[in-house]
Amino acid sequence: MNSIHDMGGMQGLGELRYEENEPVFHEPWEGRVPAMMSALGLYGGFRVPIESIPAADYLRMSYYERWLVALTEQIIKYELATRTEIESDRPDPASVKATPSLMPAEAREILFRTFQSELEIEVTARFQVGGRVRGRNMHPTTHTRMPRYTRGKTGSVERDRGVFALPDNEVYNLDPRPQHVYLIRFTARELWGEEAPAQDSLYIDMWEDYLEPV
Amino acid sequence: MDKSDSGSLDRRGFIKGATAGALAASTTGTIQAQMQDHTDVPSDPALRVKALESLLVEKGLVDPAALDALVDIYENQVGPRNGAQVVARAWADLSYKQRLLEDGAAAIAELGYSGSQGEKLTVVENTPSVHNVIVCTLCSCYPWPLLGLPPTWYKSAAYRSRTIVDPRGVLRELGLELPDDIEVRVWDSNAASRYFVLPGRPAGTESMSENELAALVTRDAMIGVAGVASPSPGEGA
Repeated sequence: MNSIHDMGGMQGLGELRYEENEPVFHEPWEGRVPAMMSALGLYGGFRVPIESIPAADYLRMSYYERWLVALTEQIIKYELATRTEIESDRPDPASVKATPSLMPAEAREILFRTFQSELEIEVTARFQVGGRVRGRNMHPTTHTRMPRYTRGKTGSVERDRGVFALPDNEVYNLDPRPQHVYLIRFTARELWGEEAPAQDSLYIDMWEDYLEPV
Repeated sequence: MDKSDSGSLDRRGFIKGATAGALAASTTGTIQAQMQDHTDVPSDPALRVKALESLLVEKGLVDPAALDALVDIYENQVGPRNGAQVVARAWADLSYKQRLLEDGAAAIAELGYSGSQGEKLTVVENTPSVHNVIVCTLCSCYPWPLLGLPPTWYKSAAYRSRTIVDPRGVLRELGLELPDDIEVRVWDSNAASRYFVLPGRPAGTESMSENELAALVTRDAMIGVAGVASPSPGEGA
């Protein structure tokens, strides 16, 4: 979706502010948010709710505030708690008490688990390394990993990454459409025009559905 | 899809009813850093998170000790020192460097590193003629097992938006001036692979041990927004 999170190439989004010796978390609550997400096994699904935050709110919120939105929405979506419970800060008296799915001793294991991995499926590759491809002109109103700056731009296939589920579908539990992902190289001039340095380039992994032959 | 009504998360009633003690607890620590990078009222999310955790604990869904363990891992067990060890090994052992550039995940596993967001790892090498820099324009993809959680600037709108269109300008603002004739490669990581920069080995480090080399390597050098400085006289062997 063409929302504010797809900000590659935009200008005017403020100064770059660098903090020396930055702590991992600035406030204790920040660490609790990804920890709750991991402990509840919700870690893979945070992009859709974050990308759905209205642009003005998105820009105003800090990173972990956006994650808090995602955590809350995921908890409701997966029926771990109701919105009423969250808004009232107390469990529904009729609800049955659960058993935590993550024990302290398992924390390390869950954190180091991979969740977006290559699929062991044979799928014919539509494009070959060394070939030329163009980013399709598509504007889905739902989740995609295709940034808008690649649309209509021509690049070269540098590597075949193997077969992966299409996140555009997978995040909604639709047909995962297993397909090849390719590392694509776009020259800076193709993306940004003749004023860009001739030798500079951008590399990005793209699913086959995002590409068309040139 | 449109369940992002942040207003519904606000807990004005809770805040009004919160004791001064709860507010004080949420504003201890690095409040000045918070003020610099976070424009929202800091106590609001702190209270919401506290209430949410209490609810989840009451419902038996999370064990607070497991959350403590996870936070400890984020803060103390993953971080750029892991990546620095990988860089030092690659500098010290050319065959390791070859393996690292060919299959990053397998090579870091040799040193005991693997896992979340490191599943496919592409290591890109900075040389006198090529400079690599990593960004995630859509969110915050980052090689966790080697660098830990990303710093705030990496996740900021300014870095995410501008690095792809003006990498040289962004690097200059971060203190790295690149020669005009060097080739800049920007890696937008948001899909199947995570990226990690193998910085160039500085002069004057020929006789250093791996641990001494690792001590020179910074997080920023492994993102590609800094180089690795030569050791100052007296430092190293």
